[in-house]
Amino acid sequence: MRAEPSTVDLLLVPLHRWVWADVDRRARKLLRFSETEADGARDITRAAELTRDATLRRLYLRHADDEQRHAVLFRRRGRELFDSSRARVFEANWLAPGERGLDDLDVGSESDETLLAFLHLSEKAAAGRFVVYEKVLDCDPQTRAMFARILEDEEFHMSYTRKQLARLAPRRCGLRLWQARAGRLWKAYLRIATALAALLGTVMLAVQYFVILPLFALLAKRAARREPEGFSRSRAGVTLESQY
Amino acid sequence: MRILGISAHYHDSAATLLVDGMPVCAVQEERLSRHKNDASFPIAAIEWCLERGGLGPDELDAVVFYEKPMLKFERILTMALRGFPRTWHSFPRAMKNALGGKLWIKGIISSQLGVRANRILFAEHHQSHAAAAFLTAPTRRAAILTADGVGEWTTLSLGRGSVDDSGAVTLELLRELRFPHSLGMLYSTFTAYLGFPINEGEYKVMGLASYGKPTFEPQVRKMVRRTADGALVLDLSYFEFHEGARRSFSDRFITELGPPRDPLEPIDLATPEGARYADIAASVQRVLEDILVDLARSLKRETGLDDLCLGGGVALNGCANARILRESGFRNVYVPCAPGDAGCALGAALVADRLHFRQPHQEVPDHPYWGPQIDAQELSRVASEDGLELEELPRESELIDRVASELVRGRIVGWMQGSTELGPRALGNRSVLAAPHSVRMRDKLNRSIKYREEFRPFAPAVPIEHAERFFELPPGGARLGRFMSGVFPVRREWHDRLAAVTHVDGTARVQTVDRKMAPRFHALLEAYGALTGIPVLLNTSFNLAGEPIVNRAVEGYSTFRRSGIDLLVAGQAVVSKPRAAQVAPEAVA
Repeated sequence: MRAEPSTVDLLLVPLHRWVWADVDRRARKLLRFSETEADGARDITRAAELTRDATLRRLYLRHADDEQRHAVLFRRRGRELFDSSRARVFEANWLAPGERGLDDLDVGSESDETLLAFLHLSEKAAAGRFVVYEKVLDCDPQTRAMFARILEDEEFHMSYTRKQLARLAPRRCGLRLWQARAGRLWKAYLRIATALAALLGTVMLAVQYFVILPLFALLAKRAARREPEGFSRSRAGVTLESQY
Repeated sequence: MRILGISAHYHDSAATLLVDGMPVCAVQEERLSRHKNDASFPIAAIEWCLERGGLGPDELDAVVFYEKPMLKFERILTMALRGFPRTWHSFPRAMKNALGGKLWIKGIISSQLGVRANRILFAEHHQSHAAAAFLTAPTRRAAILTADGVGEWTTLSLGRGSVDDSGAVTLELLRELRFPHSLGMLYSTFTAYLGFPINEGEYKVMGLASYGKPTFEPQVRKMVRRTADGALVLDLSYFEFHEGARRSFSDRFITELGPPRDPLEPIDLATPEGARYADIAASVQRVLEDILVDLARSLKRETGLDDLCLGGGVALNGCANARILRESGFRNVYVPCAPGDAGCALGAALVADRLHFRQPHQEVPDHPYWGPQIDAQELSRVASEDGLELEELPRESELIDRVASELVRGRIVGWMQGSTELGPRALGNRSVLAAPHSVRMRDKLNRSIKYREEFRPFAPAVPIEHAERFFELPPGGARLGRFMSGVFPVRREWHDRLAAVTHVDGTARVQTVDRKMAPRFHALLEAYGALTGIPVLLNTSFNLAGEPIVNRAVEGYSTFRRSGIDLLVAGQAVVSKPRAAQVAPEAVA
């Protein structure tokens, strides 16, 4: 099974090229990728621990091994690049996020089928993106070669997850993949909605902070100035019923 | 009485079940959820505790939370007001955090467990620490010192506890230090400055300190001033943590000590920059130790007692604990197996039982093994499914001899026995064991199992009867080593033969193993000693970097498969590393 970049990623090639052109940014991105891969390895290990299917367990363990190895490769290369450049630049993680790991998936609550479908799509998306990265890294053959090597593993991951899904759910395979796609969309929506809600909440609380708090802040500062230095007597006679 | 203790929402959430005054079980949420330092509401831990105790939530007499949420909220709000307008950035985050859940603990417990609201109680954070330290220690009268980052307002407390002949408990906290003046926050700020994660990287600062000299001590002392009554005051111009900023140190801090370490940058101790980090770590370690020793001395003078119980996250600092034991005048220093917030679940339950319900004290069994039991059958199942070499060794001596001889051959053993430990240390029930003799073994473990920084030392375990032969233990040192709570010098003549566990400064965080507490582990150490003449093993926690310590056999198995561990032992089952059982990719893909 060959990895192919998505249309969006293909359209964003110039942007990816810009993102990866800078050495320091490249180093930091690789080091972040390393953390994501290590997180992914932990999640897949958890899946291996929970499945009752021996074949899947073996495959998941191998998959986790691969992810861990990728984490090491990313870290090693990131550190090499990091040592050669210390300039601080804008990392642009939103523009070129790389892998998203398992999207905060709760591995323990998923069945083998849904997990495989989800893994298949995640690996496919990551592999597609890595193809683009490989393409734009002509300025750095070493990093490019590393992506090429990792891509082989990603293709294996895409392949085994698809085959195992077909084995476990021969009739519901397509359905599971569509459900997983919908799940990814839902998660993307939740991410955006949460970010938006957080932004609105922040604005409202910031407004309250500047409108309501100044007077109380004045009183609090005055009280703080009057507080003696050093030890205070511990509170006595507080019952366990009280939340204060 | 049936009391459930809960700690949650800061770091290391946990649950404990107390029945008729005795702990039945306790477990950290991370061991079940498999998320390291899991701080979420410990629903899995609670469910496991109730199942283990054979109880439903409606059968509980009380559920005790380890701190007072409203008092904590008062502190957060007050600090936001005091820092106005610099706190504008952190205020929305803090409010969303508190109002979004952490404040409504009573409602959360009530809705999650279906327990009536009037059965939900709240201990104070440092009271929970104090109870966890004093009421689990084998003493009837002791001074108590607790120190951590912050609870509600308290960051450090001094007190004393006693149990009279009728079993009535008195736990008296005499005085306290309040936020933002905090030893824990001081150390955590340096942890962050040195590029390590707060609440997790403090061990690394302690390990790094041994490589440095405290040349920055004058600068650190400028940041923390002692007051006339023996307390301490942080010069807040060096810090930003109290204003809820994303960074805990200020620009002035950087002016004083130089640029902070980038977390992504590796520490190379051979470079001047690496040496500077080590010197800074050594300096803050020295200041922390000096203050703690001084506080303990004053407590000794004030109480005249022989025993000191230490609690709070700061009590995980084994170097400081050892200095307190040597220099404070206390004959015994007791540190519980979980002095941090996880142990507060047990502490809060004990506060409710002994102080709120006034139940007579009963001595708590002096061991750390309160979690889920290992199921050797589970290992047998997965190992046979994967076609691995599996042996069942029903005779105890056969098992011990087999493992000891493998260790002598230089093999690394994943060792899972009995119930999992409460607290951050693996104390012989979920441990990775290896021969302690050569630096090569230390490097191998760092490279193929722990994947961690080279400056972090490994700990030795030794039968308590032999500890003095290898380590310079002060009086009371063997006790402090029971839960690996003290760092002591390795005797010079053993440095070379215990090279894998001797830190660069010639010390080790030794575990003294008592036969009564861990009979099988003790027997293994003795058997290893019989073969090599040195009954000492390297004992490190059974986990990989970034993962919690394993709990179930299958978790040990997956760790075994992904790392350089050669032999896995769960109960009486022994599994060797696969040779021909690798997955053939082409067969399945």
